[in-house]
Amino acid sequence: MPGLQIQRRVKYQEELDADFPRRVADMPGAADLNRCIQCGTCSATCPVSSFMDLTPRRVVAMTRAGFKEEVLRSNTIWLCASCYSCTVECPKGIKITDVMYALKRLAIQERAYPRHFPTPVLAREFFHKVRQTGRSNEGQIATVMILKTNPLKLLRQIPLGLKLLVKGRMSLWTEKMSGNKRQLQDLLDYMDTHKELR
Amino acid sequence: MSQSPACPRIGVYVCHCGMNIAKQVAVEAVTEFAARLPGVAVARHYKFMCSDPGQELIQQDIKESGLERVVVASCSPLLHEATFRKACAAGGLNPFCFQMANIREQVAWVTADKGRATSKAKALIAAAVERVSRAQPLERKRLAVGDKVVIVGGGIAGIHAALTIADAGKKVYLVEREPTIGGHMAKFDKTFPTLDCAACILTPKMSSVKNHPNIELMSYSEVEKVEGFAGNFKITIQKKPRYVHEELCVGCGECVDACVFPKAKFPSEFDEGLALRKPVYMPFPQATPAVVVIDPNTCLQLTKGKCKQKCVEACQRGAIDLKQEPEQVEVEAAAVIVATGFKTFDPRGLPQYGYGRYGNVYTSLEVERMVNASGPTGGEVVLKDGAKPRSVAIIHCVGSRDKKTHPWCSRVCCMYSLKLAHLVKERSGADVFSFYIDMRTPGKGYEEFYDRLLEEGVHFIRGRVSHITDWAMTKAEEGKLVVSAEDSLIGVTRRIPVDMVILSVGLEPQPDAQEVRKKFNISCSQEGWFLERHPKLAPVATFTDGVWIAGACQGPKDIPDTVAQAGAAASEALALIDKGYVEIEPNTAEVDPEACSGCKTCLGMCPYHAIRRDEEKGVAVVNEALCKGCGTCVAACPSGAISQHMFTDDEIYQELEGILSYV
Repeated sequence: MPGLQIQRRVKYQEELDADFPRRVADMPGAADLNRCIQCGTCSATCPVSSFMDLTPRRVVAMTRAGFKEEVLRSNTIWLCASCYSCTVECPKGIKITDVMYALKRLAIQERAYPRHFPTPVLAREFFHKVRQTGRSNEGQIATVMILKTNPLKLLRQIPLGLKLLVKGRMSLWTEKMSGNKRQLQDLLDYMDTHKELR
Repeated sequence: MSQSPACPRIGVYVCHCGMNIAKQVAVEAVTEFAARLPGVAVARHYKFMCSDPGQELIQQDIKESGLERVVVASCSPLLHEATFRKACAAGGLNPFCFQMANIREQVAWVTADKGRATSKAKALIAAAVERVSRAQPLERKRLAVGDKVVIVGGGIAGIHAALTIADAGKKVYLVEREPTIGGHMAKFDKTFPTLDCAACILTPKMSSVKNHPNIELMSYSEVEKVEGFAGNFKITIQKKPRYVHEELCVGCGECVDACVFPKAKFPSEFDEGLALRKPVYMPFPQATPAVVVIDPNTCLQLTKGKCKQKCVEACQRGAIDLKQEPEQVEVEAAAVIVATGFKTFDPRGLPQYGYGRYGNVYTSLEVERMVNASGPTGGEVVLKDGAKPRSVAIIHCVGSRDKKTHPWCSRVCCMYSLKLAHLVKERSGADVFSFYIDMRTPGKGYEEFYDRLLEEGVHFIRGRVSHITDWAMTKAEEGKLVVSAEDSLIGVTRRIPVDMVILSVGLEPQPDAQEVRKKFNISCSQEGWFLERHPKLAPVATFTDGVWIAGACQGPKDIPDTVAQAGAAASEALALIDKGYVEIEPNTAEVDPEACSGCKTCLGMCPYHAIRRDEEKGVAVVNEALCKGCGTCVAACPSGAISQHMFTDDEIYQELEGILSYV
């Protein structure tokens, strides 16, 4: 029989981040976080909650109480499939999927996300590509994502890649936005300088 | 069906009560058995005897088969005796030629074996048949009722009931034991969930009470003795000496300024001890009546007999009388409404919360005074050292939902805790942590209020606090009160350091509820709350006719429910007065003057003072209006001269005969 795992579970108030709930609530769609009555509908309706280390209900409770570390390092926010079941079912009208997005953004900002987990890498690469060229390119994004998360997987993906190439479903060439690329750049710059729009 | 000529014709009706009786008792077999009992002319069983067709059955048989006595075997007489008596009367039979056998509560619900249940039902029916054969036709007597009402307790319940009755044109005596009316509500700043100001809605009602021509306000008074019966109570009220003539005092406060104590020195009862008062004081500015009172426990003249009596000098109207004696007043009343309210739980009984040990642990009632604009701090939330708290913990269920203190939910604490959380946040800007077991907000606009507080950013933590300590484990906890609880929604134990703790204390019965109960001859539930006649269908009536209860003396409740009950009690009292008479059950004792020796044994025994001795004839006489039919005199009479209607020796022996001989 393995030895008993003994861990300190008491939480001192000073270990918590009192500012965290406000930071989350200030992000788009997360303002109603405080209205949560902890009924658990979100966790029950979530198709992937059985794989999460914290259920969505607990994520909301812990966010509200300032458990920043635990929330940002949980797999929950990355397993969220954005199906919006929780948002549809929530009796208090909380946009839980948006809360998950807010937490993902904070996790990226704080670099608290799991390094080799594909979702945040994919999000970054997608945004990077669009910013660069005004177009998304699945072939390049997927390749970079696999290289950054699990390079060995690239070999296994070669047959699939070839099939996609042959059928014309994927291109190796970088497509560029036709017309005024400056306009997109202005739009993105405007977003950067006007945080209230986020 | 055997029938001797001496035996009256009896009808027996066995009720199935749906399946309640029928699933345990073989009703057909019981009916067949009943049909063979002596005197039984008709025996039937029916699904619901209390239904209209069931009653119809009895009426029809009385008319068509000439029944002279009726037995119904069904539920407890408490439930349907009146129903079946009425059915008998409607069929043309004297309603007292009826007997009920309880085969539901006393048989079907408690006897597990079907065979034994059936024989027990048979025995009870045999007993009822034997007994009813000896029943005598009796008449109910009618007595006129008065038109005055005594209301005990001058909180919001008593005030509302008094105004309702007085507005209907009836005279009310409102008896309040404190120097002022207003009760707990007068102490509150705001009321949930609307946050309207308690004083703004209560004080106009208080002055209406004082000015109403139909209300005689008897403050600082207590009921001593209650005699009589519904419609005709005689109530003795003791006016405690306030050492001030109420009719002379105008509440100017000159005496308070003149008192030899230069500064207020004694804890103010109204301010929960958070402020001080002098021995001569006005409880609060809107006290009703606006008359000062002198506390006999702190006044120098009244305790030591030595004082310059500056107050007497200062009063230009000569209202102060330090030699005032208690005064007894006797009033007549048709009805009584008991609205004596509640007491809050004393958290000293839970030492783990540190009340009395840590200065900044308060009860919710103390904080109600603190947040009150006319309270000891002018509405500011402050710590003992005068500083504003930066974090405050509110602990729900202190003295509620706990087998060691009180098992019940006090019903108002969740809501008033939410209200206090709002007010504390508003007045001090502090971070508020609210520790609850379940958030209970059942009421109009209550859940919405909880929603509002959630949005205001109060930290709600589901978990019962284990203890409060000043023993710091970390630097941040130093100099703070640390609250420990499991955050059961997150699944960790948390320690939260705060500056102030508010204990949301539960509601409990008044400490003298038992004495009051005895005075008015009403019952208490196991917990000590006054017992209503029926928890659903008679929530303000009691088992004593003419006595109603209203408000938190019946159980914890909030202001809207209290006012609703007060209105209900008032209209039921008015209904009695309007009816104009009461009917007296004919189960009274009667003295046979031929047999009475005039020994007076019964006079001393009667608990209701219903027997007097006719000096002319030298015999005892029973006052039927006062007699409650307890039977004490019947048992005590050495000459066997007293008998009790509906319980004659003949009836009881015959009933025993029945139960013993047939099974």
